[in-house]
Amino acid sequence: MTLWQLSAGQRATVTALDTQLDSRYRQRIAELGFSVGASVRCMLRPGLGAPRQYAINNSVYSLDQQVAAAITCEPAA
Amino acid sequence: MKQLALIGSPNSGKSLLFNRLTGLNQKVANFPGITVDMASGQSHSHSDWRFIDFPGVYSLTALSGEEQAAINGFTQLLERGELDLVVAIVDATRLDKGLGFALQALALCQRYQVAMVVAANMVDVLDRHQLSIDCIGLGTAIGVPVVSLSARNGHGITDLADAIEAALSSPPAPSAQPIADLIGGDAQGHWRAQQLAEQYGPKGDLLIVSQTRIDRVFLHSWLGGAAFFAIMYVMFQSIFTWAAPAMDAVESAIGWLASQVTPLLPAGFAQDFVSDALFGGIGAFLVFVPQIFVLTVVVGILEDSGYLARAAVICHRPLRLFGLTGKSFIPMLSGVACAIPGIYAARTIESPLRRRLTYMAVPLMPCSARLPVYALLIAAFIPAQSAFGGLVGWQGLAMFAIYMFGIIIALLVTALVSQRSDKQDDLPFVLEMPPYRLPSWRPLLRGAWERSALFITKAGQVIFTVTVVIWLLGYFPNYGSSLADSWLGQIGHFIEPLFAPLGLDWKYGVALITAFLAREVFVGTLAALYGIAAQGDEFVGLAERVANSGLSLGSGVALLVLFAIALQCVSTLAVLRRETGSWSLPAKLFVSYGLLAYALAWLAYQLTTVLGG
Repeated sequence: MTLWQLSAGQRATVTALDTQLDSRYRQRIAELGFSVGASVRCMLRPGLGAPRQYAINNSVYSLDQQVAAAITCEPAA
Repeated sequence: MKQLALIGSPNSGKSLLFNRLTGLNQKVANFPGITVDMASGQSHSHSDWRFIDFPGVYSLTALSGEEQAAINGFTQLLERGELDLVVAIVDATRLDKGLGFALQALALCQRYQVAMVVAANMVDVLDRHQLSIDCIGLGTAIGVPVVSLSARNGHGITDLADAIEAALSSPPAPSAQPIADLIGGDAQGHWRAQQLAEQYGPKGDLLIVSQTRIDRVFLHSWLGGAAFFAIMYVMFQSIFTWAAPAMDAVESAIGWLASQVTPLLPAGFAQDFVSDALFGGIGAFLVFVPQIFVLTVVVGILEDSGYLARAAVICHRPLRLFGLTGKSFIPMLSGVACAIPGIYAARTIESPLRRRLTYMAVPLMPCSARLPVYALLIAAFIPAQSAFGGLVGWQGLAMFAIYMFGIIIALLVTALVSQRSDKQDDLPFVLEMPPYRLPSWRPLLRGAWERSALFITKAGQVIFTVTVVIWLLGYFPNYGSSLADSWLGQIGHFIEPLFAPLGLDWKYGVALITAFLAREVFVGTLAALYGIAAQGDEFVGLAERVANSGLSLGSGVALLVLFAIALQCVSTLAVLRRETGSWSLPAKLFVSYGLLAYALAWLAYQLTTVLGG
């Protein structure tokens, strides 16, 4: 499962970052907190393919499909 | 003089702290990466301290051109030994985010034996939630003093000054830690920051609940779109309605001054010059300062409140259809005030392709230099009436329409170019959503004042010079008895065939040629040409003269189209050259936008004429 597939309010743990992503970009995502083992919550899922909001610690980031679909996660039980 | 660097992640309140420490009005915005140039200022409390404000960065590994510039600047100053101390600002409400970069910077500082102080900002927010941060524990763990403060209300600023003073008096010892271990690829560094944040930072959710509640409206597929258009519409209406009393006051003041000064001068050349060239030309552009002020304040409120980041998200999908990204929205909106900060703001776009497309879009944004021209032509052709109980003013609506026209042309151009571009160097969209905050009014008003003052001094010099030259060329050799036979008349008649297809006579031809220097000169040139009387209502006088000059509606529309598209701004071309590193893009844009402007203006003239204009 990827972050893009999470429903609003759902929590998950990041399990991997797609190696197809540009390496510098992958590092930046990790620096923002989206690193393996991090706990993420999907806050909002606006329609029409708009970027979705994900909370990590006390920060909220807007991610488009290209990047959210490149972050694999394990939904919390 | 001691040099002190202010560094930190975007949205850590760094620029607000810089303002607090120096009293200088650095642009403060609640949007990631708004500080595009480094500012410096002398400390309020210590005259021998100079603070340098670096643009916010997330890490020492740069993604965007702006980050690269900031990191290069920072490391160069360290290498040259030109920094005495570094203040790393972290957002105390989101400690993990800021600490990651602060730890990387600390490693660099240790290498160059430069002292560091960590400023944990936004404790006012922590106080509101009855939370706190363990500064002593964190300071002991990382080996540098940590001071909690609020740049917003000034709490803790004295403590920061004390900590800086103490750190400056005892420089750190050299570090044996290899720098390469701490810079780049530092998943471990991030983990360390997270551990420290968990141990010493505030415990609990702070802003996310209230933030998400508001975001449910502003980021909703339909509600968010409607809110976006409503906010943009109010912004353009405000340019007319809120600025109107101030514009009337400026006009009255100029009229009063002219009525006092002109009779003191001998009749003839001196009186004509002061009345027509001086008060007429300068008064015609000075009257737009209130509109520029209001526009800057409204854009500033949107920035500071955190709404602009939401607007970027709302715009992302639609902008992608035209080859741009949500991050292009900020440069494009800045371009509404002036293309130059808009072009600088495009540095924050990581993708080289999207950045180049944004460079192409920004000069087509309806900038404040176009505003006087639009306002003049709209005042000349559109009645100052309103409908729906005063809710919709026709002039405001016309302004909205011409603004939208420029934006639509920009989108069509980027869509066309994007289709033909190589998408290999594209990067995905990640944007931090800053918490909603009330704007800080003092920096906001000072920023608007400085923007207005810049317009007066920068544009004023050019307008004054051009107005005087144009007036003199129109006055001689026959002392104002026949404008058509003056030197200017002769030049105008020579270039008239170029503008005849647009239904424009030689006077407009001359005004258009001078406007290639700077767009707003158009109004000053027309004012000089029509020899406005000093007494009375300068601006309305000019609009009336334009309306009564025999200029058809078709030609008026053609002029609007011409100004909306043509790249008549020497400064924009120069900045584009600086940012792209060559004359290639600015030269191509100048020629292609010029040709497109002329072709569409001709088409607009023909269509309006056929439809009875």
